[in-house]
Amino acid sequence: MPDNITVSPAPHISEPVWTHRVMIDVLIGLVPAMAAAGYYFRLYALILICTCVISSVVTEWLCNLICKKPNSLGDFSAVVTGVILALSLPPGLPIWAAVIGSVFSIAIGKMVFGGLGSNIFNPAMVGRAFLTASFGMMMTTWTVPATIDSTMPRIAPENMLHARTQATPLGWSKIAIKDRNGAKIFNDEQFEATLIGEVGGCLGETSAIALLIGGLYLLIRRTINFHIPLAVLLSAFVFGSIAYLIDPDAYMQPVFHLTSGGMLLCAFFIATDPVTAPLTRRGMWIFGAGVGTITMLIRIVGAYPEGVMFSVLLMNAVTPLIDRLCKRVPAGGKPGV
Amino acid sequence: MKIETKGRLSFRGGSHPAENKNLTEDSKIYPGPTVKEVAVMLSQHIGAACQPLVRKGNMVQAGQKIGDSDAFVSAPVHSPINGKVKEIALRSHAVLGRSEAIVIEAYQYTPTRRSYFKLRDDFDENNYSAEEICDAVRQAGIVGMGGAGFPTRVKIEPNPRLPKETLIINGCECEPYITCDYRIMVEWTSQIIAGIKLARKASGCSRVFIGIEDNKPRAIEAMGAAVSGDDIKVVPVKTKYPQGGERQLINAILKRHVPTGGIPPMIGVVVLNIATAAAIAETVVGDLPLTHRVVTVTGEGVRNPGNFYVPIGTSVAELIEFCGGLRNEAVRVILGGPMMGTAIADLTTPITKTTGAITVLTEKQIGKAKFAGRQTACLRCGRCLEVCPENLNPTKIAHAVKNNLLDVAESYYISACMECGCCSYVCPANIEVTGYIKTGKTLLAQLKA
Repeated sequence: MPDNITVSPAPHISEPVWTHRVMIDVLIGLVPAMAAAGYYFRLYALILICTCVISSVVTEWLCNLICKKPNSLGDFSAVVTGVILALSLPPGLPIWAAVIGSVFSIAIGKMVFGGLGSNIFNPAMVGRAFLTASFGMMMTTWTVPATIDSTMPRIAPENMLHARTQATPLGWSKIAIKDRNGAKIFNDEQFEATLIGEVGGCLGETSAIALLIGGLYLLIRRTINFHIPLAVLLSAFVFGSIAYLIDPDAYMQPVFHLTSGGMLLCAFFIATDPVTAPLTRRGMWIFGAGVGTITMLIRIVGAYPEGVMFSVLLMNAVTPLIDRLCKRVPAGGKPGV
Repeated sequence: MKIETKGRLSFRGGSHPAENKNLTEDSKIYPGPTVKEVAVMLSQHIGAACQPLVRKGNMVQAGQKIGDSDAFVSAPVHSPINGKVKEIALRSHAVLGRSEAIVIEAYQYTPTRRSYFKLRDDFDENNYSAEEICDAVRQAGIVGMGGAGFPTRVKIEPNPRLPKETLIINGCECEPYITCDYRIMVEWTSQIIAGIKLARKASGCSRVFIGIEDNKPRAIEAMGAAVSGDDIKVVPVKTKYPQGGERQLINAILKRHVPTGGIPPMIGVVVLNIATAAAIAETVVGDLPLTHRVVTVTGEGVRNPGNFYVPIGTSVAELIEFCGGLRNEAVRVILGGPMMGTAIADLTTPITKTTGAITVLTEKQIGKAKFAGRQTACLRCGRCLEVCPENLNPTKIAHAVKNNLLDVAESYYISACMECGCCSYVCPANIEVTGYIKTGKTLLAQLKA
């Protein structure tokens, strides 16, 4: 027998799509959002993204080294976590805080569970939640985009100014609920600003168009399924519409909730993280609807202006239950029935 | 009349591995090597293994029955050549491991090739009664030649409890590389049609469909032209793996599901493979038992790929030698196609009734990472769920087996898996999902035994 003949279980061929290719696709999908961040927040964007990526990668490398596990940087998942975390942070966050967030994301959000594939919660959201809990003030201090004011002043909750340069669109919406003047604040000009991204907010969430382009790329490449994004957006829209129909004076139009805040970033890039989302289609619908609904509950009746992070983490926690609830039935029906 | 060759019918799920049929699709069926020795396995089918009817030193003639069993689900085996029984010994079997075979040494001066069967023009299936056909099929040892090897007599014989009404002929050949059924359809068209008519007569089916994937337009045209005027319909189906799985083909053509854990007769269907239909005609009309079959020797690892009509029992090594031998880059020899075939280490393994192909792959075709067995953790990306033609949850089953939780694997319907390999094929983490599921099934079988 020839020496070089080997055996293995069938199948003997494999589709040329590897884990790192999936991750690189997500990174490509995030490029428009990163570009928009760079355009509106200039150096802040560059510093934050680089800081988060480098500290995420180094943390993963160190964790593997300490646990004597094989190096897992080749799958690029640490880079993806770093970029998503950076895009969900306020532009002016100090570097040291970003480093803490990244370290927490990777070490506590992912590596303690056993690395990629084993984590329960979305690592980037774990890091962001930690930062929100620890440095509440910094995490709600926003920077005015460079295209509006080239000095890029900072705006904290207590010194909010008027309309255009005010904190974030969701900040206005929260105040509008109190003052019952939501409809007046939200006009076409504001809507356009949330589309192109000329508003305050987290680094990567401001430009709805950039996020849609990236999301569309992922859908076309079949890196993500349409179920979760559609469920998130649809449920948020329905919930927003209900609130708007009940009291059009106080609540913003439903479209506003889709284009502002982290809704699109969440729908296409965060909630779709396969590791922490359900496997079955029915499960994906439930998961997405849960994320959209909880986000809107927090935005409309909760204490925070934004609820994407909490809703994703909450739904991550129930993902195993959803998976158990939504079992697939074989094509030929349940056996013996 | 223009024959429609585009197929729209399909099933849900499935994948699209590179077809690579161009290596052998234009090479005519050629007589195989003149063998000096054959090893006829006593178990080449699903069901009871045969008992040898000959002893060491006996003289046997081509077509002589050399093994049989009294069991209902079984099929006898015959000698493909004139020769002398050298020994009854163990040989490697693709699925069963080491298994008993009758080794026959050929006479020095007798031809071991069998010429192709020729159907006479005045063929009429009404000259044969259903019982005659069933009996001939049983005596000839015909089994499903597409891979499963279920005795054909048991399939086509009328059963009052499960009446059959639809006969589906499976000409999909969805496995990459393999072209034996395609060549049979193009070259032996009238013989297949005769076999189909005989099977229809024997089973009492009223409707007949021939399902062919639409990447074989020449086969669709040839078969379509041959059945014109008959009550047999050629149905082009979408090219998608595993379209040739019998449950998938039934689903594509009839839009009905075979119950999980059930068999096609439960919904009144019989599915026969193209090569099986051809063998039925050979047997009933030509009185020739199943001793030869068409085998595709293909893959980038073999020098001169082709389709050959060879005696059953020929060793893989001999066939590969006949095709110019292995290239230096060859790293895997597979009995069957790359998706469901079994890799063999022992090249003396003989061909059986169910061996449609020998595929020899190089490292390039397998893929560097897969060849090295590099796996990453499951991303839960859900690709395996999407491609699973049986609508299962492959990753859950595989991980349950990996963690030795066989009850969990059963709760995810592990036994409904037909091991098509789509889940492993698409897995971006290179996890041997199908391999784990197979292991789980074996463990469960041991547990229940």
